[in-house]
Amino acid sequence: MTTARNVKAASSAWRDLYMPPRWALLLRRREILVTAAIVIVVAASAAAHPYFWASGNLAFILADSVVITFLALGESFVMIGRGVDLSVGAIMGLSAIVVGFRIQNHGMTLLPAVLLGAAVGIVFGLGNAVLVGVVRLPPIIATLGTLSVYSGLEFVVTNGNQVDTIPSSITNLGSHTVLPGIPVILLLTLPFVLVSAWVLRYTTFGRSIYAVGDDAEAAYRAGIGVQRVLFSTYVISGLFAGLGGVAFLVYTSGASSTTGINDNLTAIAAAIIGGTALTGGAGGAFGALAGSVFLTVTLTAMSFAHVSDVWQPAGVGVLVLLAVVYDSRSRAGGPRRSPKRQRRRGAR
Amino acid sequence: MTTLALPRRGRVPVWGTCLVLAIIAELIYFTLTTRQFAGHGTGMLQLTEQFAPTGVLALGLAMVILTGNIDLSCGANASLAAVIAGTVLAKGGSPALAIVAAIAVSTLFGLFNGIIVAFVGIDSLLVTLATQFIVTSIATSVAGASPPFGFSSAFTLIGQGSVNDVPIALLIFLVIALAVILTISFTSLGRSLTLIGYNPRAALYSGIAIRGSLTAVFTLCGVMSGVAGVLLAAYYNSAQPDIGTDLLLPAITAAILGGMDIFGGKGRIGEVVLAVFLLGYLSQGMLIEGDSSLSITMITGLVLIGALVIKVVFERNFRQRLTARMQRLRTMRSPGPPGSISPDADG
Amino acid sequence: MADHAKRAQPAVRREPGLRAVTGADYESRGITKTFGNVTVLRDVTVHFYRGEIHSLIGENGAGKSTLLRVLAGMFPADGGELVLDGKLLPALTPRDAQRHGIYLVPQEPRLMPDLSVAENLYLGALPIRRFGAVAWRQMIDTTEELIASVGLRADARLPAGRLSLAQQQLLECARALSHGCGTIFFDEPTSPLTAHDAERLFELMWQMRDQGLTLGFISHRLDEIEAVSDRITVLRDGSVVARAERGTWTRENLVTAMIGRKLTISRRAQRTADPGQVMLDVDDLVAPPLVNGMSVRVRAGEVVGLAGLVGSGRTEFAETLFGIRHPVGGTVTVNGKDVTGASPRKCIDAGLVYLAEDRGRNGIFADVDIARNATSAIVGRLPRVAGSFIRPWEEQQLARAAALEIDVRASSIAAAMKTLSGGNQQKALLARWMLAKPLVAIFDEPTRGVDIGAKESIYSVIESLAAGGLAALVISSELEELVRVCDRVYSVYEGSVTGELAGDAITLGALGQLAVGAL
Repeated sequence: MTTARNVKAASSAWRDLYMPPRWALLLRRREILVTAAIVIVVAASAAAHPYFWASGNLAFILADSVVITFLALGESFVMIGRGVDLSVGAIMGLSAIVVGFRIQNHGMTLLPAVLLGAAVGIVFGLGNAVLVGVVRLPPIIATLGTLSVYSGLEFVVTNGNQVDTIPSSITNLGSHTVLPGIPVILLLTLPFVLVSAWVLRYTTFGRSIYAVGDDAEAAYRAGIGVQRVLFSTYVISGLFAGLGGVAFLVYTSGASSTTGINDNLTAIAAAIIGGTALTGGAGGAFGALAGSVFLTVTLTAMSFAHVSDVWQPAGVGVLVLLAVVYDSRSRAGGPRRSPKRQRRRGAR
Repeated sequence: MTTLALPRRGRVPVWGTCLVLAIIAELIYFTLTTRQFAGHGTGMLQLTEQFAPTGVLALGLAMVILTGNIDLSCGANASLAAVIAGTVLAKGGSPALAIVAAIAVSTLFGLFNGIIVAFVGIDSLLVTLATQFIVTSIATSVAGASPPFGFSSAFTLIGQGSVNDVPIALLIFLVIALAVILTISFTSLGRSLTLIGYNPRAALYSGIAIRGSLTAVFTLCGVMSGVAGVLLAAYYNSAQPDIGTDLLLPAITAAILGGMDIFGGKGRIGEVVLAVFLLGYLSQGMLIEGDSSLSITMITGLVLIGALVIKVVFERNFRQRLTARMQRLRTMRSPGPPGSISPDADG
Repeated sequence: MADHAKRAQPAVRREPGLRAVTGADYESRGITKTFGNVTVLRDVTVHFYRGEIHSLIGENGAGKSTLLRVLAGMFPADGGELVLDGKLLPALTPRDAQRHGIYLVPQEPRLMPDLSVAENLYLGALPIRRFGAVAWRQMIDTTEELIASVGLRADARLPAGRLSLAQQQLLECARALSHGCGTIFFDEPTSPLTAHDAERLFELMWQMRDQGLTLGFISHRLDEIEAVSDRITVLRDGSVVARAERGTWTRENLVTAMIGRKLTISRRAQRTADPGQVMLDVDDLVAPPLVNGMSVRVRAGEVVGLAGLVGSGRTEFAETLFGIRHPVGGTVTVNGKDVTGASPRKCIDAGLVYLAEDRGRNGIFADVDIARNATSAIVGRLPRVAGSFIRPWEEQQLARAAALEIDVRASSIAAAMKTLSGGNQQKALLARWMLAKPLVAIFDEPTRGVDIGAKESIYSVIESLAAGGLAALVISSELEELVRVCDRVYSVYEGSVTGELAGDAITLGALGQLAVGAL
């Protein structure tokens, strides 16, 4: 018994089942939108202030974004799994300090430095991983706790000293450019972005992060080791924060006990702008890159427009709000889910 | 037969007792190991001036956490309030005007948070993340190149003065704590907030005004941020634009340590107050001992993690034992009065 | 042991499509299952043969859904055994069941809304190439093939959240096949479907049956059951009461078996007074997509039922009345006052209350004490000190009095709601709504998940409230319930009222006809 109503509903439903061709889909992807936004901001700024275009300047801006890119990359892994890591800045700082002292006092070279940074990041990331993955504390609380501990550790480790001499063999990476406008250091982030993107898209592990972020219980029933996946995301986040610390040294050639403390939320902001929502299940590596570059470019454009540096945080805040409002409007009409309220198992 | 007993008075809260014991233990420790701590008895009271602003902030946060939300901007909001108060005083305004202006501004930002969360429907973590950035900028901008300092003694009395050896700041904190307890336990708003925290959908079906309540709680948190900012400016006799931002972490720690459930609903303000004292004396004791502020942050973080791990482990065992007990209770209950109509002959 | 062997192999690339999958002989022997103090399955033996569609029918609470879940490993049985192709199965988890080729298509398919159709299909078993890379291209191609074989035509890259419910169900079927499952159970798949979509599902099911799969099926609609099934088993109150093969049943036999010999239910005593004026007047209420112009009238002192199949829109109707959903047309009047589209608070203040269907999600505050649960709807009306502060002692007394009146069984008014049995929780919720002193009350499945004893007390509460002047609207899928308490019953189908029975015309037989869609 097919009533007229049913037939109409049926046919319109089928129409919606087809995706637009790949190119049209590509245009709608957040990373492309953000890249377009970057281009617009750069163009507008360059039109108003020709100096903006000076090749050294652009390189400077891009190098500036590298640290946040690393942090946002790690943060993306965590956020896709519907978690949050508030301690990335502190881990980055710790890595910068430890590696920095080794370079400054013991003459460590670049490659071992990178490995050490990664190791430091992993160790501290493990702290988060255990608290969230094993003890199962809520991520906000766990990473807030580790943020406090790691910030304090920064002070303990520096013991009142600072890192202030990094040989130019290393800092040159931050200032030298390969092509006009592209600093070497940016090129060094690209492999990490690409590998992350690959892992997220092409490995079962990566896909399982999306699954866990979208619906942890269904993922569990499908046989995915939810706690294992969550554990890994926090280790990865630590790893990237560690690498970010090395990047920080390259770029600023110094580190102190307060390094990184304010970068936590900027990393999250970059990830959000780049399309990774706190509710999990969406986002990616290129988004982290795009978001962080966009943030940096916009903030620099702001200072070029003679907006005082004081307003930079406000700029980040407004951009986050805009990104979030845009997200909530454009999401496929799903129910609004709070990132904190994971469905507690058994709670009906 | 049915008893439906009314609740027995005087059931001892477990967590609160643990907190009290911990406070006593640390007070004894510090008194014994650090000379200046006890300071002839009044020292301990005086120390509370330092952490009273954190306490006020923690109270506002606790109310927000009660509903299952969070306010990351309250620290920055307090900074802004301090800066505004300082600026008004520096321009020759009276302390009363400074206080009113400061609290008014922080309340406005609290209201803004509330409206975006309640009416636009964006998650509070994100909203207050963004608001924190915005407010920080405004505070820095207003403070300018040389933030105001050196205020009239009428003003600094609030943060530094005492009445019969009891610091005014402590009194303000306790009065606010009392007000919050009364609000949550005995007013419609408080009841609405609690129920929203436990189950927002059931609250909706019970006719509770969700949007209004959420807006109100964020606004109240804004008010408390303002009070905290005023206390800070009075205590430090200056209005640096980051004066309150450092308090966010300790305030959240105090709220969570005090038993507020991050998912909403559960938690006692009284225990939050205890946690404020616990953490406050901990940091003060360590400061006097000579530890750096960052070490203190570290220890605070460890205390938070440690306490939560203990709580989680304890609750898991407890819950298992509780469900087992409930199972036994339920099978003991009779299925129904005899003679009830049971149309199914097969049973 | 089989586990280890499976894990040692590289990820198996399953052959898509129906061709490669066969069903198994699956039998439940003497299965017993108890939840708390309610026995849901009693010594149930049902045999599912390959190449057959075997349907389970029975009323709500008969145990059909629970049986399927036990068979699919969602719950462990408390007694009895599961036998697959002659071999005894050890305790099952859903994953184990899948490995044995058993799959349950749940009543509400649960897919990952942001992940693509392809990924949902292969969830947990993504096809991979060398280096462990996910084989997207292959996945997408085979997905489109696989879902086409179940009659679903959609782009494999589409986020699964965009599929309609019917399409999601088809996707679940495809998932079953892609995991190599040949024994597939469907838990009331057609309830939320339109007739058109149901047809499509049946075509798929016949296809699968002809391929030799083993299929289990639950539905409330007897015409569907009769059209689709090769074998029918009737459950009643947790036991098997009848079995029939194709060709050996009649509709009357089935209905009788389902309902049992309970043909004489004591109807509620006629009220001495005539019903009063119209308290609830709903005129042509429209709230797409599920409420399509419903008109209902309830008088003071009347108990009016809404009968209909699951998915006919009755709950959505109630939610629209109460302000949870927004109407786009029609009016709702309570005691002369227009409350169309009013918020729940305004409805409650105007005298309209709603005992919601899903009490776990929408009704109870599980960790909160009974007293505060009971007063949650009338917080504004609680006795106060100085106009602002609630008097806790008086509140407790009030809650306790209401709970005693409705016979809530608990040790203390301060006990957490979650410690109560289902029946007592429901009664506590009744107490909540009665404290609001309503003129009109909607009861949505008031005795769902409630044991017999509590059911009776709930009925007497409803009756005494009606005797006191309440206008009651009862939504129920339990026919006896409607016969027992109602003065009038509306039948609802796909969002509109299709008929009305009154007084003595309300019989199990008549309602039985309504319930099976024979209008």
